[in-house]
Order: sequence, then C-alpha cells, then structure tokens
Amino acid sequence: MNWPRALLTDSGGFQMVSLLHLADITEKGVTFQSPVDGKPMLLTPEESIQIQSRIGADIIMALDDVVRTTITGPRIEEAMYRTLRWIDRCIAAHKRPHEQNLFGIVQGGLDPVLRDICVKGLVDRNLPGYAIGGLAGGEDKDSFWRVVAQCTAALPEDKPRYVMGVGYPLDIVVCSALGADMYDCVYPTRTARFGTALVPEGVLKLKHRAMADDIRPIDPTCECMVCKNYTRAYIHCLVTKDAMGSQLLSYHNLYYMMKLSRDLNSSIIQGQFPEFVCKFLQKMFPKGDVPEWVCNAMEVAGIDISSCCAPFTTSQD
Amino acid sequence: MKFSVKAWSNGRARAGVLLLGGCPYPIETPALLLTTRKGLPIFISPDLLPSLPSPDSHLLQFSPLHFLEDLSPKTISDIGGLHQILGLHEYVFSAIPRDSILCLPECNSTNKTGASFETPCGRRLIKPVEYMEMISSMKPNLWATLADEVPAWVSEKRNKASVDRTVTWLDDCIRLNQAGGAVFGSIVGGLSVEERLRCAKEVMKRNVSGFFCCSLFSA
Repeated sequence: MNWPRALLTDSGGFQMVSLLHLADITEKGVTFQSPVDGKPMLLTPEESIQIQSRIGADIIMALDDVVRTTITGPRIEEAMYRTLRWIDRCIAAHKRPHEQNLFGIVQGGLDPVLRDICVKGLVDRNLPGYAIGGLAGGEDKDSFWRVVAQCTAALPEDKPRYVMGVGYPLDIVVCSALGADMYDCVYPTRTARFGTALVPEGVLKLKHRAMADDIRPIDPTCECMVCKNYTRAYIHCLVTKDAMGSQLLSYHNLYYMMKLSRDLNSSIIQGQFPEFVCKFLQKMFPKGDVPEWVCNAMEVAGIDISSCCAPFTTSQD
Repeated sequence: MKFSVKAWSNGRARAGVLLLGGCPYPIETPALLLTTRKGLPIFISPDLLPSLPSPDSHLLQFSPLHFLEDLSPKTISDIGGLHQILGLHEYVFSAIPRDSILCLPECNSTNKTGASFETPCGRRLIKPVEYMEMISSMKPNLWATLADEVPAWVSEKRNKASVDRTVTWLDDCIRLNQAGGAVFGSIVGGLSVEERLRCAKEVMKRNVSGFFCCSLFSA
C-alpha cells in the first residue's frame, strides 16, 4: 500500500452486526455471503488473524462475537463467553506477536456483570491493548457512558483503551475524560458526504438555503485548507451534486477531528484539561443546556463543569 | 493577453507562447485545457493540483452554466470572481458556454434570442445579456462568445442561421463586455467549408483576441 506510517486492521467482527441478514454465527466462526458470487464464506478467528497478519498492520483486532446493544436476552451472554473462547483461538493463531499487537475486545452488552467477566477474562490473557466494543450502536447515552466508565476503571492503566466506533466529538471528549485513549468512526466523512460540516458550535448544514450567499468560511477559527480558501457559498453549490463537495467537506471534518484530539492531548499535558472541557461545552451549549448524561459522566470523571451548565431549575443566582 | 508564435514546422503546425494576466508563467502551445466542474478538476482537490506538471496544468476550462441556480452572479461578485472563489489566483480560467458532459447545446430549442442548453438544472435558454452577466461576475482570463452550435446533420438553412446568430451574439457580447479578459470569437458553420469561412471572415472583422472553433460534432 506504500504507507510508511502506523496501521490498524479490524477483524471483520462488526460486519456480523452491520451485515447480520447476510451472516450466520456459530462456534466455528461467522459465515457470510460472498459479495462477489453469493457463495458462503466462513470467517473464523484463525482466518481473521491470518488475513490481518498478511496485511501486516501494527495493531490487529481479535475476532469477537458482536451483538447490538439494543437487543436483550441470553444472546448477549453467549456472545460475551464466545468472545473469550475466540480470543484464545486468536492468540494461538497469532504468529507475529513481536511485530503486530493483538488487541482484545470487551463485549457484554449493557450488563455490568457480563462486562466485568469479560474484562477480567481479557486482562488475564495479558494483551498489549484492549478495545471496548459493542457500543456505538444506538444505545441510550446514559448506558453508553456507564459501560465505558466501568471498563476504563477495570482495564490496566499502562495499556491503551480503544473505544470502537466512537464517534461524535462530544462522545470523544466524554470518553477521554473517563480514561479512553483511541477511537475510530465513520462519522466525520459520512456526515461530510451528506453536506454537514463539524464546527465548534456543533454542526453546519451546508445544504441549507441560507448558505447560498454566505461568503464566510465554514469555521473562521479553523486553519484547514478548506476554511482558508473557500466560502460557505461555494461549498453549498458543490454539496450533494459534485464529488468535490464531499472531498472538501471530508477534508475539513477530518482536520477538525485531528485538532480535537491534539487539543485533548495538549490540554491534559498542560494541566488545563477541565478548562478545555468547559470551553468545549460552552461553545456547543451556549445556553448552558449540557445534556444530563454528560454532566453525570463528568462527575464520575472528576471534571467540574458547573461553570458551563445552567442550573436545572430556574432559580436565583 | 499576449500570444506569439515562436516556431513553425512544415505544413501548418506552430509552437507558441501564451501569457495571460494573473498566471506568472508563460504557457507553451499547443496546450491542453483541464476540464473542470465548477472550477475544479473533478477529483483533483486544490491541494493536489500543484503536483501536476506546471505551468501546463494552470490552464483550466469551465462553463459559466455550471453555476446556474447554485451560485448567483451577485454572490460571485461579492466574493470577487472565480479566482477568489477558488483561491486559485495563479491559474488561467477559460469560460466556454458548453462542455461535452453537463452543458450540451440543444439546437432545436435555440432561437434568435438565445442559445439553449441542457444543464444540470434542466433546459435553459441563455441570452447574451445573461451570459455576459455571468462573465462579468466571474471575471475569467479568457472567454468564448455565445454561439449557436449545431450538429453536422442539420439543414443548410439551419446551418446558415447558426452563423448569422453567432455573429450577432458576438457583437452583443462585445458590446455588453464589462469583464475584461481576452475575448475569443466563436466560429460555427458545421461541416460546410463555405459557412465556416464566412463565419471566420465576420469574426475577424471584430476586435477579438483569439478564436474558438466550435465542434463539428456537437450533440
């Protein structure tokens, strides 16, 4: 691929969820319908590790049994235990442990008991890093942050914690406050293809009629190539009609996310993290209407955000 | 605009140099124009553009009709013209009303008041006034005058009419010209050598900087 920098590959586990109607999950592995000829193809933990080995990524992910957090019942427990059995098969199949880092993925739905069993089981295997999986699937935010908090509290301090599929800038700030280190998400580029830009205030919908004669940049505080050269009006005339619109917006959105992660990192190093969080929330919620789940999560994270939250009751002072 | 021929070969081929305001580099001819949509090559973002050979890749084509209904002439003027909209100040923009993909001449709907095109916003009749309003707001370095382009298979009568209209619109465009930029007179006439010559002679009588030979096989 001629990519001299770091690379991470996923195992194919998420497709069990996103392509569920085409998949059949058994103890052996996942059977998919080949998109090429419709024939069944079996993805086992061993096969997934071999493919990732050939690609040669620096971090590779275990094949886990993923279930949507919106379902209930014994399937969640089955998936969690299977994930633990599969991690052993992944470890056994992993022939390049000194060049590639195999991360385990914590499953267990929204059930703290199941999550705890899974965390302990993975930590016992002494892996180089751990992912928190099975989230980012439409569960309510209050359950989401609690699972992240539980996992980050229980996972080893000296190894990376990767929250898969997260996400919105606000979610990343909250999860970082709770002790997560790595994220991946399609959101910035997908939302760009629909004409939405990420800005400090939240989002800017470039498709909107009002953008047609707005000659300001997308974000006057942004230093990216797009904001330095183009007006909202020009991007508006491109979005959803010309590929260049998606390209320019994707560029800006990725730049925005890169700056966010850099700011998170530098504010922690400079001992200014709570101030950064407050500024971030103030820009996004200028009326002080920070969602309750964010307030609860920040309390557990030990970050005082009272300066940017309006009181819940309209009282004096 | 400055153009000079530097060398000739046997026959008619010539090598020349084109200098257009804004672009600091002289462009050697024969030269190819990069097709754009709304000013940018379709999958080449502006940060990738400089990695193409220079200055050859500084010559860009666009159709003013790309912006119909998307970016009003007023907004374009407010921003300051096409070079400002795109942040490509050292590039040469050439305005041609038709391109071969999105803005196709629709000769059956053209009449003596204006040229009809199939555009992304449907069929539109473009009169010289409207065309020059677009040109004035966009301020391209070089632009072709509005032409009545017809395919090779039309009747002799229709072909003659296309030449008459194109010359009339040439005069209209010149008269309405507030944009500056180099004016290229459009030459039509289909496959008839006589009509092409007649058109060319008329265009040469006017004060133009160059000639735009309309295609022989327009759809």
